[in-house]
Amino acid sequence: MINVILQVAQVLGGDNSDIGMILQTLFSLSFIIYLFYAQRIQAMTMLRQVEVTLRKVKTIKDEGRRVSIEMVKEVGKPERDPTPDVDRFLEQFVISPVSMDPAGIMGKLDQLINVSDYTNEAEVKAIAPQATEAEAHNIENLLGAAHALNYYYKAIRHFYLLGKKTMNVYIIMQIHMILPLIIKEIEATSSAIQAFRNGMPIGDGVGPLVVSKLMRGHELIDVARETVAAWVPYEGRTLILLKAKGPGGSVGKPGAGVAKILGDDKKEKKIKAVIMIDAAGKLEGEPVGEIAEGFGAAIGGIGVEKYKIEEAVKARDIPMYAIAIKQDISHVIAPMVEELHKATDTALESVKRIVTERTQEGDHVLVAGIGNTMGIAQ
Amino acid sequence: MMMTEQNTQIPSMSLSWTTLAVIVVIGIFSLFSLWMGFQALSSDRPEQSTYYLLTGTVGFAAIGYMFFRTKAVTTRKPDVPKVDVVTILECPACELKRVRDFKRGDYIHKDDEPCTRCEGNMVITGIHRRAEPEKKPKQ
Repeated sequence: MINVILQVAQVLGGDNSDIGMILQTLFSLSFIIYLFYAQRIQAMTMLRQVEVTLRKVKTIKDEGRRVSIEMVKEVGKPERDPTPDVDRFLEQFVISPVSMDPAGIMGKLDQLINVSDYTNEAEVKAIAPQATEAEAHNIENLLGAAHALNYYYKAIRHFYLLGKKTMNVYIIMQIHMILPLIIKEIEATSSAIQAFRNGMPIGDGVGPLVVSKLMRGHELIDVARETVAAWVPYEGRTLILLKAKGPGGSVGKPGAGVAKILGDDKKEKKIKAVIMIDAAGKLEGEPVGEIAEGFGAAIGGIGVEKYKIEEAVKARDIPMYAIAIKQDISHVIAPMVEELHKATDTALESVKRIVTERTQEGDHVLVAGIGNTMGIAQ
Repeated sequence: MMMTEQNTQIPSMSLSWTTLAVIVVIGIFSLFSLWMGFQALSSDRPEQSTYYLLTGTVGFAAIGYMFFRTKAVTTRKPDVPKVDVVTILECPACELKRVRDFKRGDYIHKDDEPCTRCEGNMVITGIHRRAEPEKKPKQ
């Protein structure tokens, strides 16, 4: 057989053979094909990459769903199978209010978030009746992460299938261009599964951790939903420390808390400054755990809490200082890294320095630790 | 709408028969091309040999690309990251410090196990990921 092939090759490859011309024609033809089908080939290559990501996201999303169901069963000990309830939660949505007439949109958003929070809390209690308050909060957080993963998966799948159906390079490009950023966010969310399941402190918890170090052992007062405050003497001043109530996963309502404390102080006007500590996104090249000081309301989220804090501070016309603890997006909801844990001590020193340098003895200073307090008590 | 496996559309990533046939055809074609390239080279026809060798090489490169891409996709199992987390305990009375693996139910500021050195209770002062060992620089 091999001999036959070799003989044919020798005959075809002879001086008088046209095989050379055929090969050259094929070679030229491939360039012509590429000329017309380059975009299609590019589309296919991009689709392939989206397909690989889709597979990865599906694995992570399925894991998130599995862990959520497992945790509800394990911690909540429900009487019936919680799977349909968890699946219903994963498909939940919130319709943002109309913003064409922006006046009053903050009130609408606030009401919407409150309804969503209370409903989810009640639903988690219903599907996990034996869970403690902290465990119920952790289940809520875990379901939130699973919900986000489910959404990412569906969005990528939508563009993938639409792109495959139409083979339109511009549709495929829309998802392909932002794929690296999406992958980063998905990986961050997937890290949260382990943290939320076990109630571990996460990167976003640096703000509450700093405040909790000063707060420990002092009397606590509930100032807003899932938000506590303590009045602590320090260097002749009084620090009013505020954080979400831990150790369950919660961000509390710092906006309402700050507004209440400043409102209660309206007559006496003892509070002379507000200091906010929060996690902040680092730029590439910046070290994890770097501390930066600035001004303004250090708080993320949809903007409702930030709005409330700014309004309350503006009404009193007092300075607002911000301390940012830098971290990568992959650290925010993942179990806290050592660098961030160490950075909380540095941030604490910054708080103390700002208090002593920028306020007088006898002053009151409101110090708010912003973030998710999972795994951090007070 | 409930999310079930039935309505989840995920394409198969395995090497299809069509792809396999294309790979075989390109392989035979490239092999011929290379063979004739060497023949032409030994027959003092360098211009023709360049074309043949180039065509053959491009053909094999295309096969390699198709094969390894498919293999990488089908054999790679995406994993969900899991990290080691440690709990730091400190005794407020005698300042004894201890590090152990994280247990579910641990939280910062929790009064935990009794101190092994004095009669006090150890308090959890930190929970963080275990530091990964630094990679030795290649010499």
